[in-house]
Amino acid sequence: MRVRMLAAAAVAVLTVAGTASCGGSADDSGAVTLKLGFYAAAGDAADTTMRELVKEFTAANPSIKVQLEVAPYVKFFEKLRTQIAGGQAPQVWLSDGVFVQEFAARGALADLSDRVKTVDAAGYSGIELNRDAKGRIYGFPQGAQTPVLFYNKKLFADAKVAEPTADWTYDDLAAAAKKLTKDTNGDGKPDTYGFRAYSPGFTESWWPIVKAFGGDIVTDDNRKVVVDSPQSKAALDWMLGAMGKDGFAPDYATTEGLGKGVVHTLFATGRVAMSYGIYARTLPAVSAGVDFGVAPLPKGPAGRGNVAIVNSWVVSKAASPAQADAAWKWITFFSGEGPQRKWAELGEAIPINKKVASTALPADRGPAFLESLDAATDLGTNAVWSEYTEALAKRMNEALSGATPVATALTAGQKDAQEVIGRFYAGQTQ
Amino acid sequence: MLTRRAGKVAAEPRPPARKRRTGERAWAFAFASPYLLHLVALAAWPLLASLFFSMTDYDLMSSPRFVGFGNFTRLFSDGLFWRTLGNTAYFAVLFVPTQTVLALGLAIALNQRLRGMALFRAAYFVPVVSSWVVVAYVADAVFNPQTGIANQVLGFFGLPAENWLQDPALVIPTLAAVAVWKGVGYMMVLFLAGLQAIPEERYEAAKIDGASAWNRFRYITLPGISGTTFLVLVLTSIETLQSFEQVFVMTDGGPHGASELTVLHLYRQGFQFFQMGYASAIAWVLFVLVLALTLVQFRLQRRWVHYA
Repeated sequence: MRVRMLAAAAVAVLTVAGTASCGGSADDSGAVTLKLGFYAAAGDAADTTMRELVKEFTAANPSIKVQLEVAPYVKFFEKLRTQIAGGQAPQVWLSDGVFVQEFAARGALADLSDRVKTVDAAGYSGIELNRDAKGRIYGFPQGAQTPVLFYNKKLFADAKVAEPTADWTYDDLAAAAKKLTKDTNGDGKPDTYGFRAYSPGFTESWWPIVKAFGGDIVTDDNRKVVVDSPQSKAALDWMLGAMGKDGFAPDYATTEGLGKGVVHTLFATGRVAMSYGIYARTLPAVSAGVDFGVAPLPKGPAGRGNVAIVNSWVVSKAASPAQADAAWKWITFFSGEGPQRKWAELGEAIPINKKVASTALPADRGPAFLESLDAATDLGTNAVWSEYTEALAKRMNEALSGATPVATALTAGQKDAQEVIGRFYAGQTQ
Repeated sequence: MLTRRAGKVAAEPRPPARKRRTGERAWAFAFASPYLLHLVALAAWPLLASLFFSMTDYDLMSSPRFVGFGNFTRLFSDGLFWRTLGNTAYFAVLFVPTQTVLALGLAIALNQRLRGMALFRAAYFVPVVSSWVVVAYVADAVFNPQTGIANQVLGFFGLPAENWLQDPALVIPTLAAVAVWKGVGYMMVLFLAGLQAIPEERYEAAKIDGASAWNRFRYITLPGISGTTFLVLVLTSIETLQSFEQVFVMTDGGPHGASELTVLHLYRQGFQFFQMGYASAIAWVLFVLVLALTLVQFRLQRRWVHYA
């Protein structure tokens, strides 16, 4: 009886334990199992291409077995954090460029600086954008994104407005946008706007505009917030004018009212004639059949304010030496010409292999993206990027919605963001 | 011994009472072990772990660093935390009474014995079983400032259009309205069950005595369902303090944090900003609040809840 009772208890224990213990790693026979994580929607083109590339990679490296871990963007990073906590993280994963330093600063990533020295840096874009304050590199570029000016050729032709050129200034943009703003159904409100100024994604909105007007967001190794300046104020005032008295851009509520994510389709659906957009935005525009061109960002008083995000492969610090070597093999494989060309066909990102980038992008659109990428600075990445940019964005959006005066919002935003950064780096040695 | 047939038990000499009781107890534990293990592994252990983490600086990656009550002192000076608590309270104040009164009204209306009533009951229950993502789409069809029905209705009466979910002053009331629409069906079903448990004779007796409809409602229905009402109030209050999915899907806390509820704040701190210790501290403060609120409600129930 006692035996049966113990057995019953044991079964129950095993049931609970069984749900908690899974996972595996490398064995010692020379063969390595590499868990590779990336974000994509299941079954979409990126997922399919990645699987093909992995197959190609394992065929060339029979001693490496690759296990794929895929999830859509938000889910992927949510899961990743708990995986790292539980020691179950992939050994190599694709990181949104802005997160590399967040994971690195918390000791989750292997330092790739020495490995990066073995490649010819001149052949790749974005390596320098990944360097942290101490010059260390924790991620190797996978694909790059940088905003340029998208314009709808048909709307320009209909309004008889000359297309944007590389010499355009913010005044030229405003003048053209005014002519492109049209009320077609006569309800007193424009149905087509010349330009989309505000976006919840600040990479394609206030960030480059503030820089173009001579302001900046963070300096001193991205640890000092400097957004509270007359230049930033001028930039936000220009944006407020665009959405208000000049009326050539949909205002904050109208843009937000279109819903999260939908703001990126404003251009694709022809509701705005011009919009700042990263390379990934060519996809919805192409699939919507918009006849569009891209031009460099217009010049502000301090230049174009180009910024870039380099999505990167990172290696887990918990990876065994053999797994880390295998991970690096995968990274160099992915950066090679063949895989980069295949990846470029997806049209999602600018290839980081310069040789491929110069030939694989559409001839009419490629140069603007590549020149912008060359001129770009990083997006103020540091260990608390997600948190400080959210604190700051909240205030910037208050200003852009007209809820708070620009000067007040900038002062408050600088204080909020600096507090977040200060809290993390206080007492930090790295 | 549970499988033994009665006759066989009778034939055997009975074991001493103490020994029998120990044996039964062991069996009881054996059969309860899945539940006990579940309780320990999935409730007690995480609870204790989060209490421990609430006193640490823990980013999920490096090992937790003990900071004592540091997270709690930071919490009390965190303006954003207080703001989210204020938002949550505002949401609760709008949501709890509206949903309760509406659910009761619907239950009374749908408690009539008329044709096709099952269809109406089902109609009010559909939103309950729909996911928040689906509800968000439906809500967008109503509250979208450009294309929504709400503004068309306002326009029909010559009133200016509103930016429902983009206006800091309107976002919480709008969210509460949508939450009521989604949740009212469930509470209505609870009330329906309560109403149907009231003996019909009471109404008949009251009618014979000449009680008006209002008096029948006031002196028979309300006391008769006070137990259900209490349950509904406790459930909806806890639900509002734990609201997350709706704001996560519909507004993400915007505009400018006007709809940032406490659990969303907790989620961000823990899963976006790597501050699991701080998030645990928020969770514990929230736990204490929910507990306190529920205890107060239980205490007050003595004054107005009658169990027939």
